[in-house]
Amino acid sequence: MEKYFDASYIWESIPLLIPFLKMTFMVAGLSVLFGTLLGFILTVAKTGKSKFARKLATGYTTIIRCTPSIVLLFLVYYGLPAIGDRFGLNLNNIDTAVFVIITFTLQFAAAMSEVMRSAFQSIDNGQFEAAVSVGLSNSQAYRRIVFPQAFVVALPNFGNSLLAVLQEGSLAYTIGLIDVVGKANLIIAGNYNAHALEIFLALAIIYWILSIAIEQFFLKLEQVFSKGKQGLKTA
Amino acid sequence: MLEIKDVYKSFGKTEILKGVDVTIDKGDVVVILGPSGSGKTTLLRCINFLEKADQGRAVFGDIDVNLGTATKKQIHQIRQKIAFVFQSNNLFNNKTALENVTEGLVIGRKVPKEEAVKIGKKALDKVGLTDKYDAYPSELSGGQQQRVGIARAVALNPDIILFDEPTSALDPELVGEVLTVMKNIAREGTTMLVVTHEMDFAKDVANKVIFMDGGVIVEEGTPHEIFVNPKEERTQKFLKRVLPEDFTYHI
Amino acid sequence: MSEGLNYKFLVDTFFIALSGVPITLFITVVALLFALPLGFLLALTRINRIPVLHRFAQVYVSFVRGTPIIIQIFIVYSSVPLLLSSLFTKFNIGMNVYDVNPIWYAFIVFSFNTTAVLIEVFRSALSTVNRGQLEAAQSVGLTDVQAYRRIIIPQALVVAMPNICTATVNLIKATSLGYAMSLQEITLKAKVAANVGYNYVEAYIDIFLVYLLLCSAVEYAFKLYEKRLSKYKPSVV
Repeated sequence: MEKYFDASYIWESIPLLIPFLKMTFMVAGLSVLFGTLLGFILTVAKTGKSKFARKLATGYTTIIRCTPSIVLLFLVYYGLPAIGDRFGLNLNNIDTAVFVIITFTLQFAAAMSEVMRSAFQSIDNGQFEAAVSVGLSNSQAYRRIVFPQAFVVALPNFGNSLLAVLQEGSLAYTIGLIDVVGKANLIIAGNYNAHALEIFLALAIIYWILSIAIEQFFLKLEQVFSKGKQGLKTA
Repeated sequence: MLEIKDVYKSFGKTEILKGVDVTIDKGDVVVILGPSGSGKTTLLRCINFLEKADQGRAVFGDIDVNLGTATKKQIHQIRQKIAFVFQSNNLFNNKTALENVTEGLVIGRKVPKEEAVKIGKKALDKVGLTDKYDAYPSELSGGQQQRVGIARAVALNPDIILFDEPTSALDPELVGEVLTVMKNIAREGTTMLVVTHEMDFAKDVANKVIFMDGGVIVEEGTPHEIFVNPKEERTQKFLKRVLPEDFTYHI
Repeated sequence: MSEGLNYKFLVDTFFIALSGVPITLFITVVALLFALPLGFLLALTRINRIPVLHRFAQVYVSFVRGTPIIIQIFIVYSSVPLLLSSLFTKFNIGMNVYDVNPIWYAFIVFSFNTTAVLIEVFRSALSTVNRGQLEAAQSVGLTDVQAYRRIIIPQALVVAMPNICTATVNLIKATSLGYAMSLQEITLKAKVAANVGYNYVEAYIDIFLVYLLLCSAVEYAFKLYEKRLSKYKPSVV
């Protein structure tokens, strides 16, 4: 069983793994989409007047922040069908991807609610006041003046959260999702566990390149949006 | 033209305004003086509903609203007639100078874009920023920013412009350009209610001066009455403290 | 299972999960003891642009931030034993790699990971301390080392503390991946208990509760500590 390290396994496995990025992207993409929506609702609750809603949203964020991804993943994976059982629903045959998406939606929403809240609160209240003073309605003031500025502030943190969801998503293989990590484990099993290191290195390379690309993309995006518009140059 | 009656406002347990009345006629330039914390700024903010007063009324032509309980529609009506210039200018950071000026026209008042741009350019010309239409606030000096802020208010062609200490956040060398712009628009007959610490402006431009202290109006009158013959001891003390030695009042 | 939760199991397993806390904390503390000084030193190389080292730190941080921890675990867990066994045979050490306690691998992975995280934390914290602070310290005759120890670090630490807290909580959470190295921590202990009767829902509720308690306690402790430190914070008037 002792075989030596053979770098060619790295290069040979990369093309085998790449097609399975599609699943990785789909799961991450949908989690980001739904998570942003849920995160927005949480942000509204956190910045709103209702004390109850505020406590609820803050409590939710704290709990999610304290829960390891893998624990949340299994809670959803085992817990949802169990709850479904109670109501006579059979959720055992749902696609694994759905559980993964739910898990990371819950997680991304919590992260996004903090990102959006702090971005929103970083915009000086004077911007809103000036907008209504020139005759904009409250919703126009938010839509045209406050949100566009908050968006630029939120962008870097949104990028970081997106990277986090992509990486945490690598745990989905534990409940049997065949994404890029799942495929890697299948390849290793097919090799009778030999050359696992090379395959894992291939995985690391894929994730590393992907992360750098996304990071650069967000840096560029930030530059485009903050060009001249934000008071970055003159504090 | 605008009557503000019996305004009360407290923040928590601190009473800021304790029954303030102000009357402004068309073409008036009214300056409110007073030590910091006297409630001047709060009064201005209550008039434009940036703060909700605890009680008080604003009578504006045929509009008569309660400053504490006005409906959204009433607030919108009043804001259509009253523009506001902020101490920290509050220019929209994501908009150019011209866009800052046209935003209220196009979105708030549904003025066609082309016409709004024409009005906006004229307003910026008036404050001497013809070459800065497309500059973002971050590219302008503090004085220029505040002039855009004034243009933004002027472009709305409001019945009254409220100025909340428009020069006190500026470096001393930038104050002059802003005051000049304010004098110019005052000369054109714009009705103005100005909170400021610029005594020269009050003396030269105002036709009515109000001295506030401790949330009430202590004394009001013509600049001559206030600066030369203040009746109240509190006014005298305040003026003695803030006026330079060589401050003289000439007609 | 459709009968609802097995409450007896729920309670029993809670304590089993709780018994994994010491090992989790042990790994966390060792990783922090290793990563705090090393992360700080490497952050200094980044800020002062020390040749080679500053590049190395940059690539190192980029790798750790760019790859999932689970893959870092996979790599360490499949490479270090290989290295060790070849070393054992080479030097005729009568030891089997399979006898190595997995906690050693955990020390390696989590120190490796946390160091990179802390490099970034310290780097941004150090860059917020005004350059004038160093100049002022030098102007009154402090050496660079004294200036750092007495003036810069205390201030940077205050700024860094919330992020160190986040890093610690993330580290504790990440130890839940110790299962991949057969580490007997919170998650694995409860899961093994659940294997007998398929009480997975209960087991994961227990695990969830233990982490919730643990992380809340850590956050609370940091908050108390931050309060004590905050006297250094420049006051915003």
